[in-house]
Amino acid sequence: MTKPVEELILPDDIHYYEEHTWVKTEDNLVKVGISDFAQDNLGSIIFIELPNVGESFSKGDEFGQAESAKTVSALYMPISGEIVAINSLLEETPQTVNESPYGGGWMIVVKPSNLDEVASLLTKNKYIDLIK
Amino acid sequence: MSYTIYTATGCTRCKIVKQFMRERGIDYVEQDMKAAGKEAFQKFYIANRKSIFRGPAGVEFPILTDGSTIRQGIGASIAFLRANHQLDGFFSVGILHKEWVDGIHISSGNPEYAVEFLEVLRYLKGNNMKLQLDTNGLNSQLLQQILDEGLADVVIMNVVGPRELYSGILGQDVDITEVEKTISLVSRFPEYKFQTMVVPVIRQEGDQPEVRYLTAQEIGETAKFIQEVTGSMKNPYYIKLWQPKEASDPRVKTMEPMTPAGLLSYRNPARVHQVFAEIEKAST
Repeated sequence: MTKPVEELILPDDIHYYEEHTWVKTEDNLVKVGISDFAQDNLGSIIFIELPNVGESFSKGDEFGQAESAKTVSALYMPISGEIVAINSLLEETPQTVNESPYGGGWMIVVKPSNLDEVASLLTKNKYIDLIK
Repeated sequence: MSYTIYTATGCTRCKIVKQFMRERGIDYVEQDMKAAGKEAFQKFYIANRKSIFRGPAGVEFPILTDGSTIRQGIGASIAFLRANHQLDGFFSVGILHKEWVDGIHISSGNPEYAVEFLEVLRYLKGNNMKLQLDTNGLNSQLLQQILDEGLADVVIMNVVGPRELYSGILGQDVDITEVEKTISLVSRFPEYKFQTMVVPVIRQEGDQPEVRYLTAQEIGETAKFIQEVTGSMKNPYYIKLWQPKEASDPRVKTMEPMTPAGLLSYRNPARVHQVFAEIEKAST
């Protein structure tokens, strides 16, 4: 049973991508993870596959996979850029994404090729409209 | 020897495998991935992810391990508990749910262990499971016993091609009379279907082997083969798309895949001999 929209945690200070990843700008880099909606729909996550540091992706590219017992879900890049860090702790403790999707469950840090792409992502309210 | 069984709350198949172990005094530890065993399953999954099968509904349970061997699904688990590796080949995970069990391959195991194989089927049937078995024509004696005892609810026969190509496609010498016997037996089950996958066939061996897909005419001959043996043109008969990823032979792995539209021209030659011939849309 998934949470109703009113019970989802959706911070105001981040942007959301329609494929259920989020972006938080920190200096000139962006941190990326999946939304509370996405983790809730996946159920208990048992494996996260992340890219290697140095790989580059375009917005909308698949950068990894999240696996639960019931499903495998692709992870999509919310912006274009190069991977400069990955959360390797998720290799051993993928459940952190369920427990803290915006905190310890972050997945990658990206050096954007065009920081303006962040502004074109969804605000909290637009994201709520999408998932309602 | 002690086993670990990974289960999911409410999984009937898991309960049957646990019951089998209890009845035989086999020690086991249960890790329910939806309850206290969640963390243990997660660790097991991370360590063995590439060996764990995921069907359309996700990871299939139960998963049984003795620490070195992993068996997944009710049939493969009970077969391993009963006869260790002797029944390897007869069972795989399967993708059907509720009371249905598939992934039971009559032709893929060693018929020397027929007694053990049939015991597993009896145990599954005795626990109200419905069994879908498949065959490619080999081990017809085993199929006869299954028919006599009513151990199968559905039988799917992969008639791999016309008589003259059978051995070549299976890559082994095949006694075609055994295939004929199997076709005849299959048509006597309450529910059955014949199918042929349009596979690449090595027409000429050598440094540069000649490889071509089964032709529409050959599919027609396969349908005729079924007609001649069963005496009927009204068998359920399906023509299936082959995917290069299914190939183990490197000589055919690089073949350009056929499209579903490309299979349409195979239907009419098949319908000359099997009037209900259809192209199978979904992969099963």
